[in-house]
Amino acid sequence: MNTVDEILDYAIDQEQQAADFYASLAKRAEKAGMKEILLEFAEEEKRHKERLLAVKSGDHELTPEQEVLDLKISDYLVEVDASDDISYQDALIVAMKRERAAYELYSDMAEKVPESNLRQVFVGLAKEEAKHKLFFESEYDERVLMDN
Amino acid sequence: MTQSTGHSASLDFTQPEPVDLSSGKYVKLWQGPQHPGITGNMSLELVLDGDTIIECKTHVGYLHRAFEKLMERRNYIQNFTVVCRIAVPEPTFNEYLYSAAVEELSGIEVPERAIWLRTMNLELMRLASFLMWIGGISGAFGKYTVPNWTLAYRDYVLDLFEEMTGARIYHMYIVPGGVRAGMPEGFEERARAIMDGADKLLDQIERVLFNNVVFKARSKGLGIITPDMVDPYGIVGPNARACGFARDLRKDEPYLAYDQLDFDIVTGNEPDAYGRAYCRLLETRQSINLIRQCLERTPTDGPFQADMPNVLHWKIPPGETYVKAECTRGEYGYYMVSDGSEYVRRVHVRGPSYTHAIAVMERLAVGTNIADIAGLMVSLHTYPPEIER
Amino acid sequence: MNLKDLLSPFFVWQRAFEKPYTSMRPTIDRPGAPAYRGFHINVAETCVGCGSCHTICQNHAIDMVPVEQFQGRPGDSGLRPRFDYGRCCWCGLCVDICTAASLRMSNEYAWITEDPTEFHFTAGVDDKAWQDNEHGYRRAEGYHLYPPKRIEMDMLSPEESVQSFDEVARGYNEEQAKKEADRCVECGICVATCPAHMDVPDYIHSIRDGDYEKGLQLMYRTNPFPATCGRICTRRCESVCPVGILGEPVAIRWLKRFIVDQVDAGEYTRILNNDAVVESGHRVAIIGAGPGGLSAAYYLRQYGHAVSVFEAQASAGGMLRYGVPSYRLPDADLDKDIEYIVSLGVEMNYNTRIGKDISFEQLLQDYDAVFLSTGLSVPSSMRIQGEDHPRVLSGLQVLADVANGRDPGIGRKVAVIGGGNVAMDASRVSRRLGGDVTILYRRRIADMPADTEEIHESQEEGCTIVPQAIPVEIVDAADSSQVTIKWGEAEMVQDPKGGRPRPVLQEDRMHEESYDCIISAIGQGSNLDYLSREIQDQLAIEWGKFSPGEYQHTGLARVFVGGDVANRTADAISAIEDGHHAARGINRFLNPDAYPNNNTSPDTTRSEGEQQ
Repeated sequence: MNTVDEILDYAIDQEQQAADFYASLAKRAEKAGMKEILLEFAEEEKRHKERLLAVKSGDHELTPEQEVLDLKISDYLVEVDASDDISYQDALIVAMKRERAAYELYSDMAEKVPESNLRQVFVGLAKEEAKHKLFFESEYDERVLMDN
Repeated sequence: MTQSTGHSASLDFTQPEPVDLSSGKYVKLWQGPQHPGITGNMSLELVLDGDTIIECKTHVGYLHRAFEKLMERRNYIQNFTVVCRIAVPEPTFNEYLYSAAVEELSGIEVPERAIWLRTMNLELMRLASFLMWIGGISGAFGKYTVPNWTLAYRDYVLDLFEEMTGARIYHMYIVPGGVRAGMPEGFEERARAIMDGADKLLDQIERVLFNNVVFKARSKGLGIITPDMVDPYGIVGPNARACGFARDLRKDEPYLAYDQLDFDIVTGNEPDAYGRAYCRLLETRQSINLIRQCLERTPTDGPFQADMPNVLHWKIPPGETYVKAECTRGEYGYYMVSDGSEYVRRVHVRGPSYTHAIAVMERLAVGTNIADIAGLMVSLHTYPPEIER
Repeated sequence: MNLKDLLSPFFVWQRAFEKPYTSMRPTIDRPGAPAYRGFHINVAETCVGCGSCHTICQNHAIDMVPVEQFQGRPGDSGLRPRFDYGRCCWCGLCVDICTAASLRMSNEYAWITEDPTEFHFTAGVDDKAWQDNEHGYRRAEGYHLYPPKRIEMDMLSPEESVQSFDEVARGYNEEQAKKEADRCVECGICVATCPAHMDVPDYIHSIRDGDYEKGLQLMYRTNPFPATCGRICTRRCESVCPVGILGEPVAIRWLKRFIVDQVDAGEYTRILNNDAVVESGHRVAIIGAGPGGLSAAYYLRQYGHAVSVFEAQASAGGMLRYGVPSYRLPDADLDKDIEYIVSLGVEMNYNTRIGKDISFEQLLQDYDAVFLSTGLSVPSSMRIQGEDHPRVLSGLQVLADVANGRDPGIGRKVAVIGGGNVAMDASRVSRRLGGDVTILYRRRIADMPADTEEIHESQEEGCTIVPQAIPVEIVDAADSSQVTIKWGEAEMVQDPKGGRPRPVLQEDRMHEESYDCIISAIGQGSNLDYLSREIQDQLAIEWGKFSPGEYQHTGLARVFVGGDVANRTADAISAIEDGHHAARGINRFLNPDAYPNNNTSPDTTRSEGEQQ
């Protein structure tokens, strides 16, 4: 990955894979109501993808300097299996963990690439993922930790 | 000029022979009910022989209010807005007595501050009422300057009421349980200034009315209440005190803060219209003095209301009571019966006007001149709503 | 006659040169006194439309009228006072009684208009020149027409209460109850707010009348669990009671309890007169004998339907028995409610788990209708490392153990995680079992979902609340009988998108502490495993809960749902109302002919789309 477009293509592909992942999970979901929720997650990932496509086409810019709130919820939760009888709580954990992993990957890359232009792209992508993580963590804070 | 009525000297209760109206010797005249003689909605049915009254009959029934009945259909708190209407020139006595009766039946102890505020209010009311009355007696004898002075000055006292209670006439300030507010800021100072002015005004009135040759000539000897009439007729207040009876509930059976105030009962020895007027003048001065004492001693902090139940469904245990106070015209009483419900079973308002305007008036009028009947009526200081309550 | 008397009257001339008393333009030059009782001002935003002004007005000069902008506000009747100045006598009693202190008067007293209908106006809504007038009569400080403070409930002292499972609140005596009942202004905002719409003002009225049998009858019209709700209700009624705006709300819950405590259980049948029921021949199955299920059972029996209740546990009551500790709700009082319901001829099947002992499909076959109220029985998981440590207990389990007379084995040093009622119950139960309790909660105390009284009492009983503490990991302790929790402090950060502030873990401020046990009480979820996937799909389940239709009906004909598993509030009173409402729905379904104008009968098969 040496050019900005290559990096963006990779990221776009990642979002598509995430959308596919939730869609296939939704097909298998056994718990009542989970199908709709997982399809919504897939939709959310598609929105992330659209955003990156817009970045690539120049209609939208990444915001590497933006500060994103980190609730640090997923950081201390256990890994859960994306099983067929996945619960809402676990589905959110899976989603948070995925976004966190992506965030860490891009942050890591940003440190490793020497070129400052590319670094900015990675930082920008990391911030995007941090926002996605915040989205799911807020959802977790509201829905799962509602009574707590 | 004015003959002594004579009739009142001996207590003869036998009914006179009915006069033969068809003889053509007599004229029958209705005075009132819309008579400017400030006694309100009441009329006198007079039979005249020339210009001398030989028969007098008091008629009421023009008010259509039925206060006592109204009270039976309103709950205990609502009634306090009704009672003030029984005596327009001095509603506060009704407010106080109604509240006192309710408090006695329900066992409520009114706090010290409220006791003083109530006392001050009652004396301010006495002052306002007497100022109006002095105007009335003056006007009834054709002296129209003094009414202008006193009624205008009364408005200064009403200003004080407005400040303290939020209203000029129907104050609705003394409420079962206490009063509705404390003294407003700067009230004492303003009240003292008005009291000083009132003293001055009374000096002037004494000069132009009580030392007036016409007033003296017309009122002296008019409507003499002899001491032997006082008890059989139930005569109270200045009407009784003017003929030497030292009777005043404020001293005889002190209520509120009267046992802590410094005053003596005013008595006179001229039991006629002039004597009664002079007695009231002295009592007006006394009131001013009492107000000054109250201004000095009324506490400015602390509760002014007892702990109250929820007045929206206030039930009072069964019982009956009679409470009384000295109003400007004498003993004013409330008899109240409660039956344990949210509504009073019966209230009877005992106003002094009942005897003064009917039995006493009907007797004193006989033999007087038609020109003096208004002066006589005013000199008894009566309010028709107390009769037709 | 002397000369002085002749001359003296001429003194009047001296006054001819004095300033006149009168004012040339009285209404302009002469405003009313600062406390004058003039035209009314109502701060319509503050007003809750309790109608006390209307009640106290002896002239009937005040009507309460609906005002568009206040419709549907919680704790607000949506009505505002409309004054008729053709009737008003300006006594100001309306101002004195105003529970919200929104009503006062201006010192304006002159109002001239050619249109007399203008004198009939809604203060604070219709635009009037004096609305912003600063003067005028208002109720003086310290002057009340009803007692603002509530009658204190006798409570065991914290020292006493932790010694046993005896009920902490001792109940009102008759004098206290009557005094407290006296404080009600009978506005009825509580009725609108109560999920079950209990007739609160009327049963409080029955206390004032000393007619407790009537009070009991009134309560059973909407709630067959009065002894229970009189103790542990979440009492939303009290949170909206307008008496609480300036003072303390009427103790509605304690008054309800008082009525039930006055009536002997043996008298219930006579008082409530349920003998008159005519059997309908229909049969209804109820799954779950909690407040929702038994409430449905009670009202279905009123309609004459035969009722069979299936309960997995050995006793009825659900969370009321296994979740609420007996110091809050003694078994005897819960049984008083339950036994009366059962006495109406409800068939109880204990230790019967649907899906294991009988299939759900079997019930559908055997009964004309089925009501599901299986509650939330599965403790939520924290999903942190080490949660499966043997010294980590669930709050629900601890409470159930204690309810069943078993020793939950908490040890001495106990940490409770969570801030809801279960966390408080688990903490206070632990105190009674001799534990030293620390409560770790991820947000601030003010954010705790538990009843404020519960929080206060748990603190009084010696539980230490550590707010803004987020557990991150559980590990073995040095002492094998203990467990160690790692937690970090949290800062509350305002979410830029709004909502309540969110706790953010501060990784530089981590703590570690060992306990004999950790009780996790962070919430609970439903267990719907007894329903097959096909049936679940038809029942419309979102976030693990049912979302029933207007009559508690579902997408599956003849199946009705209610209770914690079907509402957002998850409290006893909502479950009771769900049960009552489901009974109405089931009756409509079973007796469509009894509702001739009914076009919303729940038996109409609806498409998937309609039930969203």
